Amino acid sequence: MATNLADQLRALPDEALGALLRLRPDLVVPVPSDLGALAARAQSRGSVARCLDSLDQFTLEILDAVRLSWDGERASEAAALALAGDTAAARAALDRLKARFLVYGAGGDLHVAGAVGEVTSPYPAGLGRPAEQLDARAAALAADPAKLRRTVLAAAAPARAVLDRLAAGPPLGAQTSAAMAEPVQWLVDNALLVRVAEGSRAPHPDGDLIELPREVGLLLRRDSGPLGELHPDPPAPETATRTQKAVDNAGAGQAMEAVRHTEALLDALTAEPATVLRSGGLGVRDLRRLARAVGLDDGPAALLLEVAAACGLLGETDAQPTARGVQASRALGAAEQVFLPTTGFDLWRAAGTARRWELLAQAWLAMTRQPGLVGQRDERDRPFNALAPELERAAAPQSRRELLGALGGLPKGAAPDTGGLLALLTWRAPRRARGREAAYRDTVTEAAVLGVTALGALTSYGRVLVAEADPDGDRDPLGIGPDGNRSPGGPSPAVAALDRLLPAPVDHVLVQADLSVVVPGPPEPELANELAAVAEQESAGGASVFRVTAAGVRRALDAGYSAGDLHTLFKRRSRTPVPQALTYLIDDVARRHGGLRVGGAGSYLRSDDEALVAQVFADARLGPLGLRRLAPTVLCTAYPSQRLLEALRDAGYAPVPEDAGGAVVLSRPKARRAPARMPALARLADPLTPTGLSGPRLAGVVEQIRKGDAAARTARRAPTTVRAASGGAVAGLTSVQAHSQALAVLQQAVRDKAQVWVGYVDAHGATLSRLVRPVSLGAGYLRAEDDRTETLHTFALHRITAAVLEE
Amino acid sequence: MSDGPLIVQSDKTLLLEVDHADAQACRMAIAPFAELERSPEHVHTYRLTPLGLWNARAAGHDAESVVDALIRFSRYPVPHALLVDVADTMDRYGRLQLVNHPQHGLVLRGLDRMVLIEVAKSKKLAGMLGGKLDDDTIVVHPSERGRLKQALLKLGWPAEDLAGYVDGEAHEIELAQDGWHLRSYQQEAVDGFWAGGSGVVVLPCGAGKTLVGAAAMATAKATTLILVTNTVAGRQWKRELVARTSLTEDEVGEYSGERKEIRPVTIATYQVLTARRGGAFTHLDLFGARDWGLVIYDEVHLLPAPIFRFTADLQARRRLGLTATLVREDGREGDVFSLIGPKRYDAPWKDIEAQGWIAPAECTEVRVTLTDDERMAYAVSESEDRYRVASTARTKLPVVKALVDRHAGEQVLVIASYIEQLHQLGEYLDAPIIEGSTTNKQREKLFDQFRSGELKTLVLSKVGNFSIDLPEAAVAIQVSGTFGSRQEEAQRLGRVLRPKSDGRQAHFYTVVSRDTIDTEYAAHRQRFLAEQGYAYTIVDADDVLA
Repeated sequence: MATNLADQLRALPDEALGALLRLRPDLVVPVPSDLGALAARAQSRGSVARCLDSLDQFTLEILDAVRLSWDGERASEAAALALAGDTAAARAALDRLKARFLVYGAGGDLHVAGAVGEVTSPYPAGLGRPAEQLDARAAALAADPAKLRRTVLAAAAPARAVLDRLAAGPPLGAQTSAAMAEPVQWLVDNALLVRVAEGSRAPHPDGDLIELPREVGLLLRRDSGPLGELHPDPPAPETATRTQKAVDNAGAGQAMEAVRHTEALLDALTAEPATVLRSGGLGVRDLRRLARAVGLDDGPAALLLEVAAACGLLGETDAQPTARGVQASRALGAAEQVFLPTTGFDLWRAAGTARRWELLAQAWLAMTRQPGLVGQRDERDRPFNALAPELERAAAPQSRRELLGALGGLPKGAAPDTGGLLALLTWRAPRRARGREAAYRDTVTEAAVLGVTALGALTSYGRVLVAEADPDGDRDPLGIGPDGNRSPGGPSPAVAALDRLLPAPVDHVLVQADLSVVVPGPPEPELANELAAVAEQESAGGASVFRVTAAGVRRALDAGYSAGDLHTLFKRRSRTPVPQALTYLIDDVARRHGGLRVGGAGSYLRSDDEALVAQVFADARLGPLGLRRLAPTVLCTAYPSQRLLEALRDAGYAPVPEDAGGAVVLSRPKARRAPARMPALARLADPLTPTGLSGPRLAGVVEQIRKGDAAARTARRAPTTVRAASGGAVAGLTSVQAHSQALAVLQQAVRDKAQVWVGYVDAHGATLSRLVRPVSLGAGYLRAEDDRTETLHTFALHRITAAVLEE
Repeated sequence: MSDGPLIVQSDKTLLLEVDHADAQACRMAIAPFAELERSPEHVHTYRLTPLGLWNARAAGHDAESVVDALIRFSRYPVPHALLVDVADTMDRYGRLQLVNHPQHGLVLRGLDRMVLIEVAKSKKLAGMLGGKLDDDTIVVHPSERGRLKQALLKLGWPAEDLAGYVDGEAHEIELAQDGWHLRSYQQEAVDGFWAGGSGVVVLPCGAGKTLVGAAAMATAKATTLILVTNTVAGRQWKRELVARTSLTEDEVGEYSGERKEIRPVTIATYQVLTARRGGAFTHLDLFGARDWGLVIYDEVHLLPAPIFRFTADLQARRRLGLTATLVREDGREGDVFSLIGPKRYDAPWKDIEAQGWIAPAECTEVRVTLTDDERMAYAVSESEDRYRVASTARTKLPVVKALVDRHAGEQVLVIASYIEQLHQLGEYLDAPIIEGSTTNKQREKLFDQFRSGELKTLVLSKVGNFSIDLPEAAVAIQVSGTFGSRQEEAQRLGRVLRPKSDGRQAHFYTVVSRDTIDTEYAAHRQRFLAEQGYAYTIVDADDVLA
């Protein structure tokens, strides 16, 4: 048949072949050598499955129709279309299948691509196999339509319920409750159902499987049609309609928030970096701390951190090696890592709000991660942490594009309910949507947090962004390679669209008597810096509110502003008269600022005799000391006291040193000595001794020793019988335990799930013993679990020397 | 992007630019759901709180109208998350209702079964709920109505109280409006209160809160229990009621340390109600002594904690709280909301002033420089004494005297907190003193002399903080206070805010010692008033003395 398809492909004009390749781009990765190879690939499981994944529900239903009309040799196009009611939509769907060569053929005969049966349900359209393939009695009944109808009508209500359920598909059922036993038995007795064993697999745990023969199913589907209910049109989700203006407004507000929050999160991270967990990711406590610092819930905070990381604003680096704890851990070979904003953050920060938002949103669209999982637990009941490798989901960008694409396909301002939107996505690609519901729901939430959507509808700039990221679907087929960087000069359309909605930066403030300073809009960067220097921020958002406090003014003075600078700053920036309270505050703080002076000095000189101090200060011989007068009775110098003392003595003064408490220090001259040296004897003791072990090596040695020690201890704890059997020297017990006896102990232990000391000879011939819990015994092997390490061990029975139950 | 007067912040504060043309319309639109937090001269700050939003729901506003008001007046785009949050918060109100069941009395009904199940499981409600009538209804012990509402509020599912109020014993009360009329804001306050059933009215000192109380009584036409802070305030209430309503002297009783009268209208002090003998509150019977139709709490910001507990039992009666400053230093605003009721009316002080109902006031901070001896005494004092040492510096006395002299001919109140300083001031100024130990009789006498103009200067201790009506007092000089208390500062200013017969300006001086903790506390004390738009001028003591 493959040759058949190859022949057909060969007969195609170039355009048609090109169309196929456009529809199934994976066929040319890598480029096939000839059309035979292309045909083979087009019928391979992987490619067929990928192609089916992209088909909508109705097209798949039509494919089922073709499969139903398959008679083993060929399917008739007319018969297949008849099953689907022969509508224009059905014909279009069939054309779609043909264009993809999932179905091919000529002149009314159709073939289905080989792998289709393998990668889809064996029960097309939810109908069972024909009766003749199941059971002779059923086949006989199916052959007699009148009798079949009578039998179906004769079914009692419970039996009829079973039939109806199976007729709706899938046709296979398991008898799960005792109440069903009787009606099912009746149906089987009357050959309406057939008991089946599912291939060669073990019996079904819920009891026998039953299958509804195709003929019975078709009869029961008289009302809905042989294919069951068809879905030629996509379901229309229930939508609320908002004006695009309202959507854009709420979205732009949210976009500003997202940018501001991201910046605040990263600032909080700068102030206090968060440690990278050993398993990767950010600890719950750190996440909560950051979230609280910026006033967000954990979920949105995790999302923004993930986006920041995807955008390259956040990275991991070695912790500052200054902390002592870090050094200690590094000595053992594990350098601590912390999350910190990258240098990219500073570049990002310098861009305008709209551009910053675009970078975040693009990173979000393209990132292969699912931050919605943060806070949930995996199958091993471990929590998902933000920024952890476990959040990697290769399909995430595609899920996002699909959902936003579906949303973009609706009229402008339409805000569908999430359930309806998911139903639409399921219709568009049922095979793909399966298992992606959580990802879709996360996308809805994430898009709202980032301001791509607002009030449930796509924003105008969000639409531009999505379109840019996905230009008429002609992106590289496997989703490789980032997009972006498309317009080197001038803002991208999305930025331009968002910029129109964002407030313009302001350069002035309103100062009030309660010392609050209101910036009635996003501040210009310069203004923001000035205010950050002198005031504390109280509230942020569309505007910012600062409060001038004594501490803030002091900080500004410390940073080099003078009181005059601050007065000028407020006078220049304020649109309103500067209140007297603020002027006074600045003057008050400035007056006290610097009232106390702190400095360092090498040593000081003091005396109660002011004249003497003045004489020393004026002494030219002491000029090199750089003496400074702090008070009439105190001088100081940068040099240490010894130098000062000597210089003073040389100049003929009689100074006395004093200690920190002011007591006089008496000194007698000391004999000089060279630094200590190691005695030659000790140095020569053993020239082969390594001078020292480096950290990791030392750790390795320690670990090795500990392991040996633990093994020895374990061995010592094993009962004497085991040790004896293992060849240990224990008086009175030298013989090897009888092998059969050991086996009996093990068998008993498997039954009791008891712990056993097993003595055995390992592959190197060493005798060991181990405390384990046997799980199974057979085929010459003992499989047993070690409770301490939770690992499963397999012992060859012939190597086991002894087994003793643990007391 | 519109050019509205409102800026919505992400921490749910709303900044209203006062000088904007639409500011008034915006204020009207957001007042029902946003709490006025500060009203300095240019930009007023409102805050969206769950309480405020639930308040609005209780008053019949829905989330849609709130969101609409925000968007309509906002200058900048309002973040989507904030709109969602507003809608979600408002949606939580009224999922539970307290209603009267024809057979079972008070019941809690859940319009959302899940919420009812959630709260019924909460440990916080243990003992308040009785048996389940059906899936959506649980019996409530009538005595727990208040506590249940309090607890549900804490759980974030405030109940809509539809159980109504008892009418109480009817008693004819009319306002005697001869030669005066209820002011428009007073009428609005009464209407707001009555429509809501129970709640708090916030009006500046001197704006006629007593009349709001009287008007509420005239609307209720029922026996009324009035709780006030002290006996003098109680007598003032009585005088006012007799003058402004149809009530006669005999119909109004005083229930205080001195007298225990129970009349159709009874005025009781917090002190007597919270007085304990042998560990038991002995005067609680007052609450059940009559079938009160209305309970008025004067100065609700000072309501003592035990009264909250009694109030929890009074949920079937209408309750009116009055205050100028709903700033509780103990942070129990939430209890005021759930037990007395939400804020029903609030007006910025400067608005009332602009309408001429309170006197315009000029606030001045006079800074004195301590002498070197005083500075040294201050520098070496223990930290707990520092404020006392700084605020009672003798250097202040000549300054106070100079201020009194500057306002010769006007009625001057000098207020201080430390007994020793009071006596110094009394001597230095040659003026009588009213302090805690002064008898009620003596107080009345001095107040009467002051009102009549016989006395020009009066030195007051903390008793001057509230509820004394001294209409002609035009100057207040504060020498020391209770550390950084914001509401004390406001109440003291309130003493001089009664409009003067000749429309004179009022003056409020606070004398502080420069470069001491006194200045820092003064800054903190002024915050409430600064937020109400009162700008303090700072002058040097030397300028006053010169």
